[in-house]
Amino acid sequence: MIPEGMRDVLPPETGQLRAIETTLCRRFEAYGYGEVRTPWLEYAETLETVEDDTLEAGYRLRDQQGHELMARTDMTVPVARLAAARFRDRPLPLRFFYVASCIRPWAPQRSQDGEFMQAGAELLGVRSAAADAESVILLCDCLAELGLRGFRVALGTVAFYTALVDSLGLDDDREKFLEALADRDYPLLESIAGNAGVDQAALTVLWRTLELSGTRDALGQVRKMASSDDMDAAIRHLVDVRDLVADAGFEDALTLDFGLYQDLTYYSGVIFEAYAPGVGLPIASGGRYDGLLDRFAWDISGVGFAIAVNRLHEALEEAGAVPSAGPACIAFAGGLDEPARAMDLRRAGWAVAALPADAPAPPRPRLHRSGSAYILELADGSEASGSWRDILRALGIA
Amino acid sequence: MKLGLACDCGPPPSEVLDLLERSGLRTAALRAVSGPALLHAGDTTWLLAPGADVLEACVRGALDAGVAGKDLLLELAPQVHELLDLRVCRDVLVYATPEPDAGAFRRGRPRVATRYPRLTRRHFAATGRQVELVAFGASPLAPGLGIADGAVELRRRLVLDEGSAGAPDGLRVREEVAACSARLVVGRAARALAGERLAELLEGLRASLEEL
Repeated sequence: MIPEGMRDVLPPETGQLRAIETTLCRRFEAYGYGEVRTPWLEYAETLETVEDDTLEAGYRLRDQQGHELMARTDMTVPVARLAAARFRDRPLPLRFFYVASCIRPWAPQRSQDGEFMQAGAELLGVRSAAADAESVILLCDCLAELGLRGFRVALGTVAFYTALVDSLGLDDDREKFLEALADRDYPLLESIAGNAGVDQAALTVLWRTLELSGTRDALGQVRKMASSDDMDAAIRHLVDVRDLVADAGFEDALTLDFGLYQDLTYYSGVIFEAYAPGVGLPIASGGRYDGLLDRFAWDISGVGFAIAVNRLHEALEEAGAVPSAGPACIAFAGGLDEPARAMDLRRAGWAVAALPADAPAPPRPRLHRSGSAYILELADGSEASGSWRDILRALGIA
Repeated sequence: MKLGLACDCGPPPSEVLDLLERSGLRTAALRAVSGPALLHAGDTTWLLAPGADVLEACVRGALDAGVAGKDLLLELAPQVHELLDLRVCRDVLVYATPEPDAGAFRRGRPRVATRYPRLTRRHFAATGRQVELVAFGASPLAPGLGIADGAVELRRRLVLDEGSAGAPDGLRVREEVAACSARLVVGRAARALAGERLAELLEGLRASLEEL
């Protein structure tokens, strides 16, 4: 028995996940990001700096001195904590990546395991459209490198809505309105706006922008509707990000989504989510979080994303592009008694699982002895038999 | 296009089909079909299934969009986006009890039968009242059976006691819990992956809703 929502991961999935993670790490490194590892337990106070509702249900425990500790629920906050504590005297920008499991109490409707692997990259200390674009480009590059066909990255901006909602003149209903916006409960939005008697012109802008997506001239249309400098600036910023990502060759993967809004208190500008055919929930999400480092008393900006590795694996399965975990392992009956022979094969790059001579016949590929002759049966149906030299030759080992 | 329609045991509600028809979708093939079923008609694949299944299929990215009741959206709080109130299949979730309302007086903690335990718990907690939940599909019958003091259910499913000659199991509405209607929902990925198809569907539905 294991706790509800948790899971064991078995071969060959473990190998496939590791292959995915390795590819992601190489991509992150190719952009100059350095890996960080943080403890999975943090002071509850540290994680609570973001005032995220989902934290309320987080797993908590106490250390021997009575401090309240918490299992990390994401990596963005620990990375911000680490940067503020350890890198203040370093030149900016800072680039960090991680592959780490996060733990949240399991809830069936969230379709997420209680413990889930995230691979993410954070770029700290540059406040520009170019930095946002790098983050989106890196995400696209990761997904493309893995051969994931048909993925889409939706690009939106929190800044536009913050400005728009400010202009609606909602007072008490502001939080409820933003929550409905994040959930995309449009009927609820309409009723909140109706009850609060908000400005019709501003509301029309809201509806129109929520509808727009994808097309190139959508941005132009939204700009025309922008009624304040803040809104206009947010759109111009988004145009710049979009153009830079297109320059890097990922125009086809990009879609604009003005309805994209996340109710995470630390997002402040561009936000994005990646989707893949056959997987209903985002396989990655990210955005700009300029206020987050400030909560650790270091006023620098940040942008980053996290890939949900298990959902990415699912997407690759759907696309028939799961990376293989390595060479097929040859089961060598009698190999336990002939370690030198097994080593011949391993040195040449084959994986060999040595078995006792009397082991029941394992599935192919397999190798066993009949008298003095060796018999090799490969997974593709081909066979070879004879002396050890014949076997080596059949495997392409001189 | 892959669409899901919530329906209980019979065919999908004709109000929903009429609305879809006016929006430019051909629904003739669906009218005689009792769910659950998976149908291919023209270039559209239809899933006719219980509302919870339609929502699950949307969450998992198997459908471009689905139609389901607000009652289920409130109960299940699935990860879908609710794009449009279709303004059909309107109903009200109510709290109803027999006459006289024994629960209100006899017990500090009335027993409430419902098929919507989460929604019911939230409703009473939000108004500062404690209730004992009784998970019971045919909730209007629960008070008559003596296992509950009242029921939270859609108004049309109640056998209402509207006066002297009411049925023995009749219940009286004590309060409204939530207004419900059919909603168009999509999974989180639908917009990015099926944006154009979806925009077309939305446009058609909006136009036919405005005609009403």
